[in-house]
Amino acid sequence: MAAQMTEDQTLLKDAAERYLRDSYDFNERRERIAAGHYSDPTQWQAFADMGWLALPIDEDLGGLGLGAREMAILAELCGQFLVTEPLIEAMAVSHAILGNSAQKESLLVQVAEGTLIPVAAIDEAGEAARLSPTTQLTEDSGQWRLTGSKQWISAGASATHLAVLANSATGLAWVLVSVDAEGVSREIYPTHDGRGGASFKFDVTLDNAQIIATGEIAQDALTAYRELAMVLSSAETLGATQAALDTTVDYTKQRIQFGQPLASFQALQHRMSNMLIQTELTRSLVYAACDAADDGHADRGRFARAAKVKAATVGRKVSQEAIQLHGGIATTDEYIVGHFFKRITALESWVCSKGEALKEFMALPAAQH
Amino acid sequence: MNASNPIPTDYETFREGVRAFLKDALSPELVRAGERTTSVFSDFEAGRKWQSILHAKGWGAPEWPIEHGGTGWDIQQRYIFLEECKLANAPNPVMMGIQMLGPMLIHFGTEAQKQQFLPGIISGDDVWCQGYSEPGSGSDLASLKTTAERDGDEYVVNGTKIWTSMAHHSNWIFCLVRTDKEVKPQAGISFLLIDMATPGITVAPFPSLDGEVEQCQVFFENVRVPVTNLLGEENQGWTVAKYLLEFERGGQHFTIELKKQLSKLHRLMTSETNRAKDDPTYAYRVAETEIDVMALEQTELRIKGSLSAGDNPGALSSLVKVSGTELGQRCAELLIEAAGQSAIPWQSEVLSPEYTGETAAPAECVTTMAEYINSRATTIYGGTAEIQRGIIAKHVLGL
Repeated sequence: MAAQMTEDQTLLKDAAERYLRDSYDFNERRERIAAGHYSDPTQWQAFADMGWLALPIDEDLGGLGLGAREMAILAELCGQFLVTEPLIEAMAVSHAILGNSAQKESLLVQVAEGTLIPVAAIDEAGEAARLSPTTQLTEDSGQWRLTGSKQWISAGASATHLAVLANSATGLAWVLVSVDAEGVSREIYPTHDGRGGASFKFDVTLDNAQIIATGEIAQDALTAYRELAMVLSSAETLGATQAALDTTVDYTKQRIQFGQPLASFQALQHRMSNMLIQTELTRSLVYAACDAADDGHADRGRFARAAKVKAATVGRKVSQEAIQLHGGIATTDEYIVGHFFKRITALESWVCSKGEALKEFMALPAAQH
Repeated sequence: MNASNPIPTDYETFREGVRAFLKDALSPELVRAGERTTSVFSDFEAGRKWQSILHAKGWGAPEWPIEHGGTGWDIQQRYIFLEECKLANAPNPVMMGIQMLGPMLIHFGTEAQKQQFLPGIISGDDVWCQGYSEPGSGSDLASLKTTAERDGDEYVVNGTKIWTSMAHHSNWIFCLVRTDKEVKPQAGISFLLIDMATPGITVAPFPSLDGEVEQCQVFFENVRVPVTNLLGEENQGWTVAKYLLEFERGGQHFTIELKKQLSKLHRLMTSETNRAKDDPTYAYRVAETEIDVMALEQTELRIKGSLSAGDNPGALSSLVKVSGTELGQRCAELLIEAAGQSAIPWQSEVLSPEYTGETAAPAECVTTMAEYINSRATTIYGGTAEIQRGIIAKHVLGL
């Protein structure tokens, strides 16, 4: 079923898909990751040159001023082509967080050019609630200081800068630090989705300009970031889910057992029909969540969480089925379908889990219409 | 909730108009018949009365072309009309004539057939039932054995039909019959319109699991039908039927009913009769179902959008049918859990719209058990869920 897109959205999708099909080879990706290179600087530069990094930035700040629907088009393709560069991370941070900075013009120009790669750092070790960090922003006789640590930051290996969520005397704060700054230590680790994670420790003195937002503005930015990230993670999951299904359909048409293609067996046909039904239902909800975000719909928070719950549930089921329907070949590293499965699994718990999204969904009453 | 296609103001004006009409036209008895509907059929007399009221208003068959009595509404207006009828608890008229046979007659019928049959369908004066399935031919419909042999200007029909909903209230039946046994099964079937008063027809109603009578078996013994009652060409009945099946599947908007069930669930969850209040998983399961209903609603809107753009949703109506019916079953399961033992009393008279006395079950649980029982049929009739999955595998996935 065709998704209704504007002409501009179709052009964006077609061009991006053509680029990734031609230039983002699965086997090159495998070799690169095996060599410890979690992102490819020439790819990132190409993303910048094609305008992808400027896409979520307001027009008056030199960006293209596009919304969640366009970001989701790219996110879906990231899922389909297993892009390891932190595109959804950077889009969410530049759209929802960096625009609050007093230095937003210069920061966002650097993001659009590809020289500043921002990733949000929220999670911490220990018992602290996820959204009430122990990392502290403190002031001592006019001098700002960031102390604490962040753990399990997806694509932390590829970031040049972190938007760090901290607590301060006036509540939550967002602070921008370079990963190379003095007083920042980064421990990079390989990940099952090939993205390369990192944990960070901070004991940094800051310029005022590095404090992006505090208090209520920081809280609003956190809400906006989380909701956009839920939508984009759902979109990337959707892209990987569709790709896992397509790969399975193609494979079962080719694979001969008992003298006939696997696809001719009704037990398998009905399972693939279920995969398709659930993937299409997810697609509808993900696009609706994008539209709700772009229209400022009163229920946009509910839609974002609903999309996250649905995509996480369906992505898990479909990618597990994809492996089962392939058989042994899907359990090997050299075959692509298991890589969709691993990326989908990593996205399940990115930003929030399905269960957390469901709980938050239940706490948000539906707007009356 | 409609995030992708905000409704322009003139649709809101239309909605107001529909609402005002319904408020005026629906008597308490008709509303009671709507509230106590436990399957696709409401109380028969109430449904028939409602059809005559709709017809008098000019809204008897909104989907038909204007020249045959349609309203000329666009897809969105038809959706709003259905939604408001559901919210106002209007009863469901017997819909086989309007929803199924009508489009068929308009597409395949001769001028004489249209003039003879369409007015009686839209007014509700004629009640039609559908004679497709047979005891030996369910999902494998093309294997049907009821025969029609040509004898002069008549066909002579012999055989039996089953799952003929509302046959005991119908004065006409549209049937698939075998007119050629020598060719492959689909190629030897014809479509006949048969007057139920013709000698040789016997109707045997039987109760369903919920104890109510909606289903019948119909027997044909040397039933003589004029050849002018053949719809389409002889042996083209399968083509006619396939067109009909698409209407049966694609013409349904499941989320209108599902959202109504969800609001019932929410009401029940906060009522003192909620038997699931000590189940810590219950609220989560309701919320997950709600999210799935949102996903289906957005899918229906996408299909509606592609229909407006002139595309044929084709096999995607199978996707909606499977999802809509299975979600309806999930809602019915959740309702039965919240009702607990209070749903078990069986009090048949309560379902009558005239009944205003005491109910054994709490008011909000009166229909719960029957709805749950009847929901099991939804993945069987109109092409089973397995048939639908087969259609998706073949026509969407190309397996």
